[in-house]
Amino acid sequence: MNREFTKGIIDDNPIFVLLLGLCPALGVSGLVVNALGMGAGVIFVMLGSNICVSLLKNFIPPKVRIPSYIVIIASFVTIVQMVMEAFAPDLYDNLGVFVPLIVVNCAILGRAEAFASKNTLKNSVLDALGMGIGFTLGLTLIALVREILGAGTITLVSIGAFDGVISIPGLIEAPARIFSLPAGALLAIGFLKAFFNWKSQSKRGEA
Amino acid sequence: MKQLLKTGGKLALICAVAATALALINMVTAPRIEYNREQRLLQALEEVSGGFEIGEEQEVEHRVITHAHRLFDEAGEPAGIILRMRSDGYGGEMQLIAGYRLDGSLITARLLDNEETPGLGKEAEEAQYMEKFEGKGSSDEPVPVRKDQLPEDQADAVTGSTITFSGIAEGLAAGAEYVRQQEGDES
Repeated sequence: MNREFTKGIIDDNPIFVLLLGLCPALGVSGLVVNALGMGAGVIFVMLGSNICVSLLKNFIPPKVRIPSYIVIIASFVTIVQMVMEAFAPDLYDNLGVFVPLIVVNCAILGRAEAFASKNTLKNSVLDALGMGIGFTLGLTLIALVREILGAGTITLVSIGAFDGVISIPGLIEAPARIFSLPAGALLAIGFLKAFFNWKSQSKRGEA
Repeated sequence: MKQLLKTGGKLALICAVAATALALINMVTAPRIEYNREQRLLQALEEVSGGFEIGEEQEVEHRVITHAHRLFDEAGEPAGIILRMRSDGYGGEMQLIAGYRLDGSLITARLLDNEETPGLGKEAEEAQYMEKFEGKGSSDEPVPVRKDQLPEDQADAVTGSTITFSGIAEGLAAGAEYVRQQEGDES
């Protein structure tokens, strides 16, 4: 597997290692389905912005590169917002204010500035996919922890007779409500980050 | 100077291309978004009508009420009013729709467009949220606007989203008052 692709998933995971994009990671990790929807939006925007920035890297004047990146990213976010509102209104309602906030997701601007503006188109695409998928996995992991502990359910997309909600017996009657509140998001991220630190240390034989 | 123009020109070009792309996509999605919104409104009107016939939309000049639809029973007699209202929530303006009987008591209500917090204030979108207000609003049974006016189990349910609750309750109370005034004027 290509290193540019795999690094974003584990070694340089944007949420747990680079600590980028924590605002949506705190905000939309209450339900698994929202995390997946947000992740899909971020993958699309990151892919689009990395492609544009990589193609335009010789055209964009260095002095105005940040405004240029923001315009490009904001355009893709607006596209996601309009398409989502038109074709997936329920998801749009749930994500609410967090969709426009993809613009200021530092994971995306960070990749445009640190990677796509210095690398080839192919590597930028791989980087965007890896980082996007890494972000989605991280967000989904937090959402799983929060939703299972905080509500005792796992909410996925409803298909046919399956309404999309899996109930966990025992937890649904007595959930730890704190995990569905914002404080729970911080707790969940903190413990997961500690876990990943411990993992990477023991891999290096330091633990 | 020349460098400045060149830099500015390039930035302007990027913006122009971006704006054009957005305009094209907007042309595709705008009608669909409008259609979704109308469908949601129609469905909500049906849900709060209590089974009565829904009359035509009227605009209303009022602090919170924007539109009204009269309700008629099978004989064509006035049976109530549906009001569309805007109220302030935790995340800005909320759109409410509520059906009232002629005495001002609430048939039921729905929360439409809002920016409330998912998991907390957003729960008010559920139909069962409005059960605590149903039947309230006539002159001898006011709409509960404070948490301590609710039975204990219902008060617990709005904990964590008090501002959403107040916004909805005050909107519904203003609506009930409006209905009572209207009917008072006419009879």
